[in-house]
Amino acid sequence: MTVMRNDVVKALAKMHLHSNEEGLIPEYEVLVNLLPVSLLNAFAENLLAAAPERKDEIEAGLVRAAYECGYHTGCGIITSEIFSEVVMPMVTEGAKDILRGAYAAFTAWGWAKSGIVQLKEAQRMTVRAFDYYEADSQGEGLRAYMLRGLNQAFFDLAYADPYPDGMDTFVCRQVKGIEAGDDYGEFVVTPK
Amino acid sequence: MALNLDFTFDDQNYRHFLNGHMVVMHSHHYLALVTKLAEDLDDIGGPQILADTVEKSMFAIFEDYFQNNNITSPEAKEDVCTEYFSVFGLGKLSVNRSDEGGEATLRCSHIDEGWLKKWGEHSKPINHFTRGYVAATFAAIFNRSPGSFSVAEEAGMVTGESRGVFVAKAA
Repeated sequence: MTVMRNDVVKALAKMHLHSNEEGLIPEYEVLVNLLPVSLLNAFAENLLAAAPERKDEIEAGLVRAAYECGYHTGCGIITSEIFSEVVMPMVTEGAKDILRGAYAAFTAWGWAKSGIVQLKEAQRMTVRAFDYYEADSQGEGLRAYMLRGLNQAFFDLAYADPYPDGMDTFVCRQVKGIEAGDDYGEFVVTPK
Repeated sequence: MALNLDFTFDDQNYRHFLNGHMVVMHSHHYLALVTKLAEDLDDIGGPQILADTVEKSMFAIFEDYFQNNNITSPEAKEDVCTEYFSVFGLGKLSVNRSDEGGEATLRCSHIDEGWLKKWGEHSKPINHFTRGYVAATFAAIFNRSPGSFSVAEEAGMVTGESRGVFVAKAA
């Protein structure tokens, strides 16, 4: 058996996060927040509008924020109790299956309706996303900074040196985007 | 009061909603780095851009909740704003109102704790996100529009203080 994506998505999508008496949500070895996507998109739009000449620097900062979030939280997710219960029993192909399970979680938790379409283990991965919140953002060009960071993070977790030593082994490029008029977003992860 | 929380899931597009507003989960690493990015862009007003963005976004969510739940009194509005803060996982916020503004106190803070976990103490307060949240809160309580209050973070947990203190004054 390999990872049954739909089963994983259904099981994980039902989860709701609730804050503790301190107003914090400690889960997956991190502090989690639950924020309106309109705020996250607007922040990127407003920064870029304020300094279009520094687009590269701003985009790199947004991708980095997503990457570090994805790398640390992703590790917490794939070692969590819920992942062990729902995904691990289906894992028969090692890192490849864990990555498939991670992308089911990726979808279930609302980061993107996405999946792996091509995978050359430890070398290259292509991911397509058919719905993601950054596609709702206003601006020009490809703008899925969050997904770039998360895709890179997940591939680092699967194929780079074990956590926490595998950071920045791979890099993710966005080659298509719904926000730029394409039918889907496409992301290619390769060695840095 | 207890905030009414309606969590829904769109199983066609896999989007999550809280009281009709799409929400997504991220971690303290994300907000700490977003805060750092704003700080690094200080020369173009990065910290204020972050605060203003938060203020406008949160104000819209507060107003929507007030309308849908028939909330009119300043006391009830204050409860909504401070309870939402915890629902978002941002920590524990309380408000003391005066005639033309007031003070907000942060007892637990996702952003300050996140910053401290990543980089340790800092020479000055950095919680621009909560500065914007407090501005939205005061605007909502006093029936004003966003931009009506200027908020200063006068004490921040990243500088070693036990609490964050935000002072709001009519702009």
